[in-house]
Amino acid sequence: MAPVTEPSRNWADDDDEIEVEAKDQGLPAPVTREEPDGTRITTEYKINEEGKKVKVVRKTKMRLIKSQVNHAVAERKNNWKKFGEVAGLGAGPDSNSTSFAEKVFLKLSSTVKDHDAPPPEEEGDSLKKALAAAAKSKINCRICQGDHWTSKCPFKDTHAPLGDLGGMDSKDTGSDDVGADAGAGGKYVPPSLRNRGPGEAMRGTGADRRDDFPTIRITNLSEDAQDQDVKDLVSRFGHTSRVFVSRDRETNICKGFAFVSFYHKDDAEKALETLNGFGYDNLILRVEWAKSSRD
Amino acid sequence: MVNAKQQSPDEMSSTVGRLSATVCRPARINDFFYEQRPILLHGHTRSLTKVKYNRDGDLLFSTSKDSKPNVWFAHNGERLGSYDGHNGAVWDLDVSYDSKRLLTASADNTCRLWGVESGKQLYQWNTRTPVRAVAFGQGDRIALYVTDALMGQPSTIWIVPIEDDLENQTDEFIRKIVITGSKATVASWGDLNKTIYTGHEDGTITIWDAETGEQIKHVKSHTKAISDMQWAADYGYFITASKDHTSKIFDAKTLRVMKTYTTTRPVNSAALSPIRPHIALGGGQEAMEVTQVGGAKQGKFETRFFHLPFEEEIGRVKGHFGPINTLAFAPDGRSFASGAEDGFVRIHYFDDDYFDFKYEEESMEL
Repeated sequence: MAPVTEPSRNWADDDDEIEVEAKDQGLPAPVTREEPDGTRITTEYKINEEGKKVKVVRKTKMRLIKSQVNHAVAERKNNWKKFGEVAGLGAGPDSNSTSFAEKVFLKLSSTVKDHDAPPPEEEGDSLKKALAAAAKSKINCRICQGDHWTSKCPFKDTHAPLGDLGGMDSKDTGSDDVGADAGAGGKYVPPSLRNRGPGEAMRGTGADRRDDFPTIRITNLSEDAQDQDVKDLVSRFGHTSRVFVSRDRETNICKGFAFVSFYHKDDAEKALETLNGFGYDNLILRVEWAKSSRD
Repeated sequence: MVNAKQQSPDEMSSTVGRLSATVCRPARINDFFYEQRPILLHGHTRSLTKVKYNRDGDLLFSTSKDSKPNVWFAHNGERLGSYDGHNGAVWDLDVSYDSKRLLTASADNTCRLWGVESGKQLYQWNTRTPVRAVAFGQGDRIALYVTDALMGQPSTIWIVPIEDDLENQTDEFIRKIVITGSKATVASWGDLNKTIYTGHEDGTITIWDAETGEQIKHVKSHTKAISDMQWAADYGYFITASKDHTSKIFDAKTLRVMKTYTTTRPVNSAALSPIRPHIALGGGQEAMEVTQVGGAKQGKFETRFFHLPFEEEIGRVKGHFGPINTLAFAPDGRSFASGAEDGFVRIHYFDDDYFDFKYEEESMEL
C-alpha cells in the first residue's frame, strides 16, 4: 500500500489570467491571504457589465483527501505522463474536457413512480395487516377514482383529491383525537394508520410527509457526531425513515441535536426510553418527542 | 440490527459505549463522496460506444464513434490520454488484467493493441470487415475479436495469441469460428477461457467451445438484438441488455433465464453492481427516432436501477441528453460511469443513502 496525494489544484487557483486583466484596467492586483484555519481569502477587483468597479471576496477551503491504494495505482497516478490529444498538459483535470455536473440525487425506494408500468404493491407487514380490512371494500383512488390506492396514483403530485367519496365524514385525520382512538381499539395503532375507514386510502406516501412518522429529538450530542454515528446509534431500534443531524452551515460541525424519524412508533418509543439519559461520547443524551411542525 | 431489540439494557450500554469511541475520527473518504457531484467528461465528439474500468478502478476507458479512445483517471475525471490511430468508429474495448494493454475493435477493419501508459499502438490485426467486439482471455495471453457479416463475409470469431514480447507477435490466429446465422453483436470469454459467449442480432445467446469451435448451446430468449452482456464476478451468471426493451439474467451454464427486467425503451446496456444486489440499465429511444417525438423527457434517458432479486425498479439517475449506450460499475461499487449518444461520459458517486437502502424483507432476521 502506498499513499497517493491528490494535488489540490482547482480552477479557482488559476488566477493568472485575472491578474493580467486587472493590470490592464488599472485595478489593484488580487490579494490572497491565508487564515490560520486553512481558509484562503482572495480579494480581487474587477469591472462588471455596468462598468462599475466591484470588489470580489472569495473564500476557499481546500481539503486534502488521501486514500490508500495499491502500488500499481499509485504508479499510474504519480508517474504516468499524458499522451495523445492531451500530451504535454500539466497535472490535474483540464477544464476543456472535465467538468462537474449538477448534483443529481439518486433516491432509492421500493416504490418508484413510473407512469408506464406501475410497480406492484409493496407495503410493510404491519401496514398490510392494518390495511387488510380496508382492502376488503373496493379500492378507490381519491384523486382519479381509479382502481388503486391514492398513494399510488400517478396524478397524486399534480391533482388535488376530488373529494372523499368513501363514505367517511370529512373530519381531519389529524392527531386531535389520538387518545380516544388508541383507547377504544385496545391494540395500539400507529398514528399514521388511525381513522382508517373502509374506502379511505393512505394520506400521502409517507416518505414525502415526514410529519407522519414518529420522530424523536436527540439533544446534547457531541460536536463530533456524524450522520453515520447517529444512524448506528438508532438503527438498532428499528428502521428509520430519516436521520437529520443539525450542523453549522459554515463549519459543518454538529450543532448538538438531531432528529430521527422511525417507521414504527414502538421503535421510536423504545429508542426514546433507552437513549434518554444515555452516555454517548462523554455527554448525556437527552431524547424527547420532536414537536411536529404543524402544531 | 433487529436482534438488538432483545438485548438487555446492560448489553446495550456496552455496545453504545463502544460506539462512542468511534465518534471522533478524521473525515472518511465517504464524507467526500457524499458531497461529490457527477463528473462530466467530454473528450469525445461523437456518441459513446463503450466505457470500461480497469481492474483497480482507477482508470476509465471510453470509446466512441469518433475513432479516438480515451483513458481517464476515474477519481477526478482527468484525461490521461487518447489512443490516436483508428480511422473509424470504435465499437468495443478491453483492458488487460494488469492495466498495461488495451484492445480496441473498430469499424475501420482493424483490431488494435495499445500500450495503456504510452498511448502507442503495439500491434494491429487487419480484417476484411468491421470488428464488432473484442475481449482479453483470462491471463491476457489470448484474445478474441468478432468481425461483422458484410459483403459476403460471415460473422466470425477470431481467437488470436497475445505475446508478452511483441517481437513474436504475428497475425496468425489460433482458431476461427464462423458464425452461421444471425451476426454476433457482443462476445466474451467464459470462465477459464474454455467457452465463448456471444449475443446475436436476432436475440440469440450462444455458447461456443473455445477448444473445438463447436456450438455447445444456444437459446433465443430475447426477441431483438442483444446490445450488452456483462458477467458477474464469479462467472456464475451474466446480464444481457436487448433492444426488445428487456434485460435478463442468465445462468451461465444452462442459459436459463433467472430474472427479467422490463422497461419501456430499448435497453442498450446493463451492469451488475459488484457489492449490492442492484443492476443498472441504460437505454432510451433509438437515436434516429428521438427527433420524431421530441424532448429529452419522453426519451427516458435515465440510468435506471433495479433490485436484482425482486426485479423491481428502485431508482433513477438523470443527466444525459441522449440514449445511454454504455454503463459500467466501478469495481469497488461506489460509483458508476455512463456513456451516451450525446457524447458525454458521466461518473456518478453514490451517496451514503445508496448503501443504506434495503427492502424491509432484506433486513429481516431469519
